[in-house]
Amino acid sequence: MNRNALMNRLKKSNMTAIGIVLIAMIAIASITSPYFLDIYNLQALIRDLAFVGMIGIGQALLLLIGELDLSVGKIASLCGILAGMMMVYQDVNPFLSMFIALLLGCVFGCVNGLIITKLRLNSMVATIGMQGVYGGVNLVLTKGKAIPGIPDSIQVFGKGSVGIIPTPFIFCLIVLILVLFMIKKTKTGRYIYAIGNSREAAKILGIKVDKIRVVIYSIVGLISSLAGVLYVARLGSSQSAIGESWPMNSIAASVIGGVSLTGGVGNPAGALIGAAIISVIQNMIVLLGVNVYWQSAVSGFVVVIAISFSSISEILRERKVKVS
Amino acid sequence: MSVLRVQNITKRFPGVVALDSVDISFEAGEIHCIIGENGAGKSTLIKCLTGVYIPEEGEVHVGGEDATKVKTLLKKVAYVPQEIDLFNNMSVAENLFIPYEQSGVKGIINQKELEKKAAPLLEKFRIKVKPDELVKDISISAQQLLQVARATVHEDYEILLLDEPTTSLTTNDTKILFNIIADIKKENKSIVFISHKLEEIFALGDFVTVLRNGKKVADAKIKEVDSDWIITKMTGRSVDQEEQFQSNQVSDEVLLKVERLTGGRFKDISFDLKKGEILGFSGLVGAGRSELMQAIFGHLPIYSGRIEYFGSQFKQGDPSYSVSHGLIYLPEERKKQGILPVLSVKHNISIAMLDSLKKGLTIVKKREAEMVKEVIKAYNIRTPDAEKEIRFLSGGNQQKAIIGRAMKSSPKVLIFDEPTKGIDVGTKTEIYRLMRKLAQEEGIGIILISSEMEEIKKCSNRIIVLYEGRKMIEYDEKADKQQILSAIIGAKC
Repeated sequence: MNRNALMNRLKKSNMTAIGIVLIAMIAIASITSPYFLDIYNLQALIRDLAFVGMIGIGQALLLLIGELDLSVGKIASLCGILAGMMMVYQDVNPFLSMFIALLLGCVFGCVNGLIITKLRLNSMVATIGMQGVYGGVNLVLTKGKAIPGIPDSIQVFGKGSVGIIPTPFIFCLIVLILVLFMIKKTKTGRYIYAIGNSREAAKILGIKVDKIRVVIYSIVGLISSLAGVLYVARLGSSQSAIGESWPMNSIAASVIGGVSLTGGVGNPAGALIGAAIISVIQNMIVLLGVNVYWQSAVSGFVVVIAISFSSISEILRERKVKVS
Repeated sequence: MSVLRVQNITKRFPGVVALDSVDISFEAGEIHCIIGENGAGKSTLIKCLTGVYIPEEGEVHVGGEDATKVKTLLKKVAYVPQEIDLFNNMSVAENLFIPYEQSGVKGIINQKELEKKAAPLLEKFRIKVKPDELVKDISISAQQLLQVARATVHEDYEILLLDEPTTSLTTNDTKILFNIIADIKKENKSIVFISHKLEEIFALGDFVTVLRNGKKVADAKIKEVDSDWIITKMTGRSVDQEEQFQSNQVSDEVLLKVERLTGGRFKDISFDLKKGEILGFSGLVGAGRSELMQAIFGHLPIYSGRIEYFGSQFKQGDPSYSVSHGLIYLPEERKKQGILPVLSVKHNISIAMLDSLKKGLTIVKKREAEMVKEVIKAYNIRTPDAEKEIRFLSGGNQQKAIIGRAMKSSPKVLIFDEPTKGIDVGTKTEIYRLMRKLAQEEGIGIILISSEMEEIKKCSNRIIVLYEGRKMIEYDEKADKQQILSAIIGAKC
């Protein structure tokens, strides 16, 4: 009985479908290239996907309320730079520097949220503007130069592994667990879905809609800065160019993972699976030796196909209903 | 021979038979009314007539040919949907002729030409707007008439299918629409008229078919039946139409005192609401009733004036303050402002009482399920199970879920904004009884906004009439219907 209920839940869940897609991708990858299942390749892949994965989880939170943040990459790189400057130039305790950088990321996210809610702006347009601001401050501070010499005590967070699992991925899982707890178990989580379903109805229910929106932007800022600082730890130097591809990839990961762009539907865990699918695609393209100039075009095309999985299954379902 | 005939059609959905071998003929030059409770199968029937669904069994004949096979035949059915679905940012003329392929406009679209073509149509339908005005700038009433006009632009239509066309019309415009429909009938078209309002059916119809639970239960010439007959057939039981719903427990304690309130669409409004009272607000669509209530609730801005709640100053402009202090607004726009469409019935109900379901940070799922089950039972919400997405429920059941949810946030003042819009007679009575019970037994002060005269008369202890944002007059429950009607249209007496 219990087992049946579990099977039903699995069948109903969107997550199962994208899980199967991911497994299929992995199967194809391991058949077409003997190097794919190599432990070093897998470790590199997982280390890589941790970054887009955790930002995707944050982005999914925003998509759930029908908004998005295009400044995640610039917040990440600015926070990485700020952490690096404190550690290397000012001799601040590395851990304290990291902590302050995370806090600042949270503040940047909060600023995004306040601007968007108080001035009633569209999130996409506002964050396009804000990413210019964060990127600009970054350039003013660094003049485009990297900050090498990140202490080893910090580099461990980016380069190290716990057992065979790369440390950044551990952080990614922690982010996932915390976000899932919030979304599935708490009042705030229910309110997030309510806002995504209908902002008007949520307001009339007495939900403090704007407050929750600002909180989510702050969480996303925090996750972005975490990804930025971890990436700096991985490279061993702070660089301005970190996170350029993260805004778009995090949105794509969420959508592949079944999070609706219009809000109210989806699960942030899907974003992590979506990120994994994107990483496997990119990894496969490299392993198969696709011409360097073609790589971006091919991976873009495959991502579009991956995004359309959920809508294709929707189309098929509708057709089935009509025929029966 | 019938212009349109559905022959023993059956349409099934997982778990329900929406239409069960229904057989109806529609004749030319006849107004054929379809009536039934929410969930009786009216919408499914419409969708079969407009080609959205194909019935599993049976045939749809248009002029003797089977339209389930030859789909183009369904173009002869001009359909006017219940909800207004015009293009807000396009002109009246453009809205009339879109889609161009069907209205005979070819090649390059010339605005002036379109506007010239639109003028006689607007005149025919007595829509007093200019062809170049944007739809969003014209009144709701005009929009609804425009929607009917648009359906008839398609030249070779034979059947006009009207789904509750009067829900947003003022009394006066309803008359205009009925005259137009009578004209169209004279052109020997067949008219299918779907409505919950019995008085309209008797004023307009020639023939009536009653649906219940997906089956056709009766049909008759309108002249040969009365409203009791229809209600009995429709609900399967007889409903007492004379039943009154005023509260008999009005106390002297004033819950809500509004003084000289002015806002966007209303001016200088004062009134008070007593404990255990049902206070009716009547007026035309657009008279400012909803705007006034939403402003008191905190959803819309207030320019000046004062609100007193339980004898002390009430904070303005903060819905969450209002809700936490027991002032709750149940919106007219159920789909936009009431329900959370893709969430389950369970989550829709529990959303207002999460604080009482929490243990530490987390929601106790077991307690939630029990609480929701209780509400579903207490408010007689018909749903296959609590996990069903609420958008799949009928309007009446959505409304009951919203009321049940509001009741769990311990309300002291409830504002019902058109609580029975689009809801069938049987469920309406259920909602009236519920309101009376809340007022009498729980001492809740109830404000009822309604455009239906019968509803206002049956339920209200006092009646306030608004006209163009101003308070016209206040009546007690003995007020004369004619008096109220003339106040609604702005005539002092």
